[in-house]
Amino acid sequence: MVPVFKENDAYILGVTLHEARDRVTDKRLEEMVYDTAKKALDAVGLNRRDLDHVTIAACDELDGRSISSMLLAAPSGAYLKDEIKATDSGLTGLCLEATRIRSGRFHLGLLVSWNKSSIAPFEDVMRMRCEPFYTRPIGLNMSITDGLFAGAMRGADEAKASQVAASYGQAAARNPRGVARTPAGADAIAASPYVSTPLREGHRPPVTDGAIAMVVVSGKWLNDNPGKTPMARLSGIGWSLESYQLGAERLSSMSGLKTAYSNAMADAGLSGAADLDVIEIEAQTAYHDIATREALAIPADQIVSPSGGPFAQNPYFCAGLVSAAEAVLQVAGKAGPVQAGQVKTAAAIGFHGFAHQGTVAAIFQEVPA
Amino acid sequence: MANDETKASDVISGEWNVRYNYSVGKVAGKFFDALKERKILATKSSKSGISYLPPRAYCERSFEACDEWVEAGHEGVIEAATIVSAAFEHLPPPPYAIAYVRLDGIDTAMINFVRGLDMSDVGAAMGKLKPGTRVKVEFVDKPEGKVTDFHYVL
Amino acid sequence: MSPQQVAVIGTGQTVFKKHHDDKVYAELVQDATLAALADAKMTPDDIDAVVFSMAPTEFVGIHDIEKWSVDSIFGAGKPLMRIHTGGATGGSALHAGYTHVASGLYNNVLVVGADRVAETPDSQHVLNLIWDRFYEFDFALNTVTMTALSSQRQMSLYGTTEEQFAQVVVRARANALRNPHAHLKGKITIDDVMNSAPISWPYKLFDCCPRSSGAAAMVLTNLEGARKKCTKPAFINGIGATASTVFQGDKTGPKADVEYADLAELEIAGKEAYGQAGITDPMREIQVAELYDPFSSMQFPQIESLGFCGRGEAAALSDAGAFDLGSELTVSPSGGTLCTNPIGVTGLVRAIEAANQVMQKAGDMQVSGVRNAVATAIGGSAQFYTCSVFGADHL
Repeated sequence: MVPVFKENDAYILGVTLHEARDRVTDKRLEEMVYDTAKKALDAVGLNRRDLDHVTIAACDELDGRSISSMLLAAPSGAYLKDEIKATDSGLTGLCLEATRIRSGRFHLGLLVSWNKSSIAPFEDVMRMRCEPFYTRPIGLNMSITDGLFAGAMRGADEAKASQVAASYGQAAARNPRGVARTPAGADAIAASPYVSTPLREGHRPPVTDGAIAMVVVSGKWLNDNPGKTPMARLSGIGWSLESYQLGAERLSSMSGLKTAYSNAMADAGLSGAADLDVIEIEAQTAYHDIATREALAIPADQIVSPSGGPFAQNPYFCAGLVSAAEAVLQVAGKAGPVQAGQVKTAAAIGFHGFAHQGTVAAIFQEVPA
Repeated sequence: MANDETKASDVISGEWNVRYNYSVGKVAGKFFDALKERKILATKSSKSGISYLPPRAYCERSFEACDEWVEAGHEGVIEAATIVSAAFEHLPPPPYAIAYVRLDGIDTAMINFVRGLDMSDVGAAMGKLKPGTRVKVEFVDKPEGKVTDFHYVL
Repeated sequence: MSPQQVAVIGTGQTVFKKHHDDKVYAELVQDATLAALADAKMTPDDIDAVVFSMAPTEFVGIHDIEKWSVDSIFGAGKPLMRIHTGGATGGSALHAGYTHVASGLYNNVLVVGADRVAETPDSQHVLNLIWDRFYEFDFALNTVTMTALSSQRQMSLYGTTEEQFAQVVVRARANALRNPHAHLKGKITIDDVMNSAPISWPYKLFDCCPRSSGAAAMVLTNLEGARKKCTKPAFINGIGATASTVFQGDKTGPKADVEYADLAELEIAGKEAYGQAGITDPMREIQVAELYDPFSSMQFPQIESLGFCGRGEAAALSDAGAFDLGSELTVSPSGGTLCTNPIGVTGLVRAIEAANQVMQKAGDMQVSGVRNAVATAIGGSAQFYTCSVFGADHL
């Protein structure tokens, strides 16, 4: 048989999302994760035995477990497997997974991430990101630093942010994988209380409970398993961490986004946003959508976040990986009611840290039949 | 600037108190309810045939659901034990004994305190806790549905 | 396609001690970064990506601490991710750095981290919070008691004695006398260990590692970079890792896959790493083992899991001096984890010491004629294992 896949390329064989809910009350976190990992393997007709590695992305502090992978490695399928964990974000887990598959050392893996947001007080955990000397006595968290970001944005317009949030809400309402909610109108959002001026409550989605598992394989594995059809090729990946210091330039330049995105596009051999059919943005605030479009020169008619992004579901830590899953579903033509026509190439962009200190960009491309 | 005169007392004190709400889930909920009736329930996977204490919803090895409940015996065998002599913050005052005990009918061992042991001579007391030693389960007078409702005794 | 060759071309460490009162965390991690860059003859601009090695942040009390540190390690604007697998973190971070380079995604990668375990007086409380909240947390499990339990089992299975564990401590502290970075060091006797304060049977105080503060860093590059920058690089020829169940009680009884007393998961990781590195007779082919042994009883099962001798044989070999400095297998010439344990980078320190031996720059600790060295790391409930093989020759 003639190999058709490049051996060290990374492919997404399957994607499974846990049912999105504001709060999952009938399962402990380990059970949510097991259910998701098990379903992901079942969906592609594989057994846990077949895996040669597991990659986890998780946050101890949000999980309320001081080394959370102790309890969660086994339900992620990692019993007696090579397992490793990244802590920055679910989407960072995809970066780590990409290095593993593309090294040629690993061929069939499960990437698992989660956030049972209802366990821990989100902003109280985020507050502890402040170093104890200069910022903690003042008190920063996600809302406050995102407010600083929105305020520092050149030409940021509150009314526009309200419209963007409303359109995300409308898209989210169409997404069967989201939490069922009645979307708020732009007027209601514009009238919602300030969280950290100019960021209003309605400009950002609430956190929810969720989990995600992706089956990731190498081209070599696909060549060896001709019966299996990948959903997409992970053709480009890029990530960046910016300065911790929140000056005006750092807040508004989106330089980390530009670095991560240009690295991912170069990796995929693409040149500009016009080469992408869909861009899923993990917009933790409406301002993130506006700033991303501007920084990446995304044309006005580009299809952006058809899934509704975190406004559909927002298991904060893995929300970027959920955006990646939505991009994969688009490329595979399996996004259901939010499918944006025929999609050959889709990007997912995710953020982590105070005021998008960290950015990840991932590019998924159609695998020709 | 830091200099040679920096002392250990040159610190900022802080605390990290975050409250958590852990979902118990169905399996642990049933286990804790059963403790109130002085029963220790394990889960079992019919696929792998392994019964688990502490109980869990899934078999880590076969990766199938644990689909049966099995009641554990109230006697078992010590698999590993230690007596703690040092005082640790937020842990019980020493000395105390803990042991992994595999209860009759169950494939895995569960940790708990060993009570009622004379620990005035730690070496001699450890001699009574060797792996393979049989122990019994003893419940507290009023079980409340917590894992500390029972412990082991020689 | 086989992985690209990955080489260690620079390493750096700070001194390890209980407190670094004169520096904040971000400054400490910079010290190791600068040392590793200088050793690699590189400047910060040469680094393409960073892997940050840091375990639970509760010891230091700052969540996502790599995000605070990024500026001080010259990482701002670069790809950076943090790896955390408990005590195995440094080993896992090395493996992540390896795949960064082996994949061809990045040429020069800095693996770096720091820990300050004694920044909280509650470190064993943090290490109690790691357990299952419903089933195991209440029973005083922490890293001391969990390994005391498996040690009792080891003694019962193989007849190993407290004095044999004490001999491990005596050797480690003596070895550490040659290590300028070690936290605990000195000439002590078996009686000193036996007479130190009881902690959790069979452990006395001297059977246990200290809580250390300090930083470590390593520069990795590909074959081309190694040829350009370094006359004697250490090639990473094998990486193996194994995760196990958190429930230690599952590792007992007739249906157990792995034996609690044996740290048997390391056997799986070791075989994988050896297979990649082409090691078939470890005792003959490997000259130095840097082991993750925060407690005296953790050396023998690791030596056995790594195939240097049969099960239950390491203790007697240790008594006979088989693992002493300059013997057929030198075990932890640096003094190992028993003398120095900055948890978030301990596995990285093991890797650095093993790589330094291969690179012939271990200073007073140097063992002559090292062609291959192995490093381990262990985390969680003796649950996460990494094994890394360094060689003077590439594959």
